[in-house]
Amino acid sequence: MTLPAMQAAADATRQAQQTFHDGSSRQASVSERENPYPEGRLIISRTDLNGILTHVNEAFVEISGYTEAELIGQPHHILRHPDMPKAAYQDLWATLQAGKKWHGYVKNLCKDGSHYWVYATAVPNVRGGQVVGYTSVRRKPSRKAIAQAEAQYRDLRAAEGA
Amino acid sequence: MTLNFLIAPDFAPERFAGWHMLNTVLQKKTDLHLHLLTPATAAEQSQLIADGNVDLVYANPFDAAEMVRNAGFVAIARPVGKPDEMVIATGAESAANSVEDLQPGCKIALTDNKDVKLIGLRLLEPADLTEADVQWQLVETYQAAARMAIKGEVDASFFLADAYHSLSRLSKSQLKPLVESHLADITHVLLLHPRVAEQAGKLQGALQGLAGSADGQPVLDELGMGAGFEAMSAEDAEFMIDLMDTLLS
Repeated sequence: MTLPAMQAAADATRQAQQTFHDGSSRQASVSERENPYPEGRLIISRTDLNGILTHVNEAFVEISGYTEAELIGQPHHILRHPDMPKAAYQDLWATLQAGKKWHGYVKNLCKDGSHYWVYATAVPNVRGGQVVGYTSVRRKPSRKAIAQAEAQYRDLRAAEGA
Repeated sequence: MTLNFLIAPDFAPERFAGWHMLNTVLQKKTDLHLHLLTPATAAEQSQLIADGNVDLVYANPFDAAEMVRNAGFVAIARPVGKPDEMVIATGAESAANSVEDLQPGCKIALTDNKDVKLIGLRLLEPADLTEADVQWQLVETYQAAARMAIKGEVDASFFLADAYHSLSRLSKSQLKPLVESHLADITHVLLLHPRVAEQAGKLQGALQGLAGSADGQPVLDELGMGAGFEAMSAEDAEFMIDLMDTLLS
């Protein structure tokens, strides 16, 4: 699925070619600007079994820079930051597909190339014994946890040959 | 037909009359006989539910998750625009200006309210504080929690947001909020036991008809739920329970 074009802000400092599990790709424009996590809020989304966004809350829309209409129907990897290692998402999907809860620190990419850090928890939505989709809820991470995740992801990306 | 109607014990004392008024107006509108149960503590509530004597419950979101998933209760309605939020506040003179200023070993006062504690713990995460890092001071009332923060006996206190905003102007002037939650999607819920699930439509109709009606609106105002109740589907409840699940660890 082709993602909508990013609208890189003037402070974008690098371009990164991203290829996703569904074979699609995009050229991401990235800045080093971090947006603060919205105090006291949860950033919530739901996807179908294929990772297509079916619900986003107001906090999700506001921080992403996209409109709700631009997000619904798009794959969740619209937020994928090129600094995130593939291994993190492989772990996420393997955990969810095993019917378990996943936690992790995630650097998400905004429409304008800036980013925000979250502590994400994703759970399978079980209805009548069947998994029908996934809910992801993000909270504010500590600076210490972000620093640790940055270092770990840098190593993982190096190991992935990125 | 008589239904036992239990109200979770975390409502403010000044709402007590409102719950009795709601019980009365619902009986009139549904032709059901409702017997109001107002347990004083969470333990008393749990016992009444475990004994199987409860048909209709105004439950806090965490108990609702358990009751829907494990006991088959059916969500029928929730208050409009009344999410369950909390405030972490410190004394006005405290050096702390944000949650991140709280340190391991800090003292936090709180009441016996599971929802407030769980949401509060999530809001302490940016400070790398876990439950074990805090010296908890259990108090009976939010007023007591406020006094301890004002006097500097604790580094912060947890409040149900409604309770915090209901404190006197003088108390609030001596407190400083460090963070207030805006979770929005988590609310108290009216649940019906599956053995009386056929009463759902009648009760939903009566609850939704309260807002703006001559006999219903004063009751809602007394409960601090001026916008009334909205019907809740099974999927609405499941969505909220999935959210709660993500907050549990």
